Amino acid sequence: MSKEVKVIGLGGIGSILINKLVRFVNHFSQSGSALNWDITLIDGDDFEVKNKERQEFLFMKNKATSKMEELNALVSESIKYAVPEYITNDNVAEAVREGDMIFLCVDNHRTRKIISEHARSLDNVIIISGGNDYTDGNVQIFIRENGKSLTPSLTDYHPEIQDPPDRLPTEMSCEELANSDPQLYFANLTAATIMCWMAYKVATTPLNEVEFCESYFDIVSMAVNSVKRQPRS
Amino acid sequence: MAYTKKELLDKTNAELRQMCKNLGITGMTKKRKDIIVDALLANQKADDKAKAAKASDTPQTVAPKTDAKKAAGPMQSMAYQMQSTLTKPSAKVGDKHTTTILVSCGANSGSFPVADRTISEVKGFLSEALNIPSFPDAVVNGKKVDDKYVLSSNDTLEFLKPAGRKG
Repeated sequence: MSKEVKVIGLGGIGSILINKLVRFVNHFSQSGSALNWDITLIDGDDFEVKNKERQEFLFMKNKATSKMEELNALVSESIKYAVPEYITNDNVAEAVREGDMIFLCVDNHRTRKIISEHARSLDNVIIISGGNDYTDGNVQIFIRENGKSLTPSLTDYHPEIQDPPDRLPTEMSCEELANSDPQLYFANLTAATIMCWMAYKVATTPLNEVEFCESYFDIVSMAVNSVKRQPRS
Repeated sequence: MAYTKKELLDKTNAELRQMCKNLGITGMTKKRKDIIVDALLANQKADDKAKAAKASDTPQTVAPKTDAKKAAGPMQSMAYQMQSTLTKPSAKVGDKHTTTILVSCGANSGSFPVADRTISEVKGFLSEALNIPSFPDAVVNGKKVDDKYVLSSNDTLEFLKPAGRKG
């Protein structure tokens, strides 16, 4: 079985996540698993020096392109495509397709909403979405199998994603893009780690047995809590 | 003296807070009026149960009220309720059995003796302990419920926390 894995957003969470995910995929493929994953990276942003404390890149260029070059040199040509674009309503159908497993690591709720709503229209898709504030954050998993939602969508229990207060990167000025809120590397790292746990879970468990739909973490209280919720019709 | 909800709502916040102080209900100094009223009604209900249990000498016994009053902090009236309900069918008179419910908000969670409490009451009691946001939606057993929902012993309660925005 071939599955397309796409990492959308290669900032603080995505640039850490892909370094781990590519090794897991490679290991999985070599261990005789029936699952064969192709990886695509999607991000319209360029890596800048000011982000070097949190983001793991070798080259000063588009993040998707840079990470593909870097990891293909390290881990045997695992990444097939790099798409230097942001997700919008116009290209979401091309970016997220039937059967995809999406790792969503963007920094705005509007993109999360676009992808979640599009995923609702697909029969089979998995979205693993991570986000963080300064010292805490969460990871959600939205699973559609045979036209049915097995877990809630990203918006079902999150009105702030359903009615996002922010804008897409394509709608923001250069100044707005440059003035981003400060983030903690460890918060990005924790979100990426929990996304890896979810990747392992869906790779090794029948999808209808994935019970938890969201995990929260808090670095200050040193806590992780996973919750079960029912999808809303 | 037993009050109805309307009678309590007709009182001023200062009067309600003084009543809480007299009854040993703590943690209400900065709470909204509806939460204070809910706390007073819950305390009244627990009092009634205690009297009824004492009169009938059935297994639905209640811990001595004086013990509960000594407990410090906003959890005191829940500690009282914790010891008040005997739910083991095989239990004997005088046995005590604790029923706790898993309550979470974001990464914070814990088991608390909040069976028979409304969502609104629990929100008031645990807002600081679980860092519950101002107007959270509540989810019981995976489904959204309103503030008037009364928790039962097998429920799991979650107060929804907004998703992290950055990445």
